[in-house]
Amino acid sequence: MRWLRHPALYWVVSIGLGAVFIYASLDKIAHPLDFARIVYRYRLAGPSAALGVVPANAFAVVLPWLEAVVGVLLVTGLWRREAAAIAAALLVMFLIAVGYVMWQGIDVEHCGCFTVGGEGRGAGWTLIASDLGLLAASLYVLLVRPRTVASASAAEPVPAA
Amino acid sequence: MPVRVGRIAVILLAATGVGLAWNALSGQGLALTRNAYVRAGDEEITAKEARARLDKGILFLDARPVAFYEMSHIPGALPLPEDDFDKHFAKLEPRLRSSFDIVVYCSGFGCEASHLVARKLKERGIPAVVLSEGWPAWTEAGYPTREGAQP
Repeated sequence: MRWLRHPALYWVVSIGLGAVFIYASLDKIAHPLDFARIVYRYRLAGPSAALGVVPANAFAVVLPWLEAVVGVLLVTGLWRREAAAIAAALLVMFLIAVGYVMWQGIDVEHCGCFTVGGEGRGAGWTLIASDLGLLAASLYVLLVRPRTVASASAAEPVPAA
Repeated sequence: MPVRVGRIAVILLAATGVGLAWNALSGQGLALTRNAYVRAGDEEITAKEARARLDKGILFLDARPVAFYEMSHIPGALPLPEDDFDKHFAKLEPRLRSSFDIVVYCSGFGCEASHLVARKLKERGIPAVVLSEGWPAWTEAGYPTREGAQP
């Protein structure tokens, strides 16, 4: 699995993951009310919801900005591992939310993943699969140590320090 | 290069700060402690308060589609479905204009009909409040329901 530590792969995955998070944040930041409606439909945030203490609107206001900040950090490489850790935590949260609505049979109609208007995809197995893919990318960025450019050409891999 | 918890905290705080600032300054800010269906001017009451009003003989309106009303509704409530508002409103108008403290409800989460109906009534000069979380809040509290087309 030496190729996993190739710096180019690490770089591409980091930037790709960051770009996905930035893209996902834009429409939500531009249309907070539409996103808040979608959050509310998950029945996880709100006064009599599973997480009753978190108002759906406060969650809908903060989440897209967290996605945006995490995305920018992943793209620029600043505090990359910390950003990847938060990205992984967010994806676990999304997986729980999607699993919850599928388990409860709640029709959210629009998952609110990338866009908030028009026809959106609902919660389903394809969404679970794509979230798992993104989670794998986040864990990769978080856990794998790429070889440095200098050591990439060396015969012996640098021991993880 | 280990993950530093302090940095994670900084990222979370920064995102929260920017989010709240954007919400305050963007001109389309949301009321943070409420849900997306509530607008300024809307009044919501709890199921407990609604129960007390029902016992006092206050008029209840069911904003869900009529099929839901016929399956089960709050005893005494009249159907005023949001998807067929004008027809039902014309029929009910005299009764509505002579009622006070009207309570509107619908299916709770994901249902905006009660808020829309309450606003339409207000536009017509009839004050109405919304039962917060609607039908689920009512049934989960164990309050009475009635089946069929009769109020």
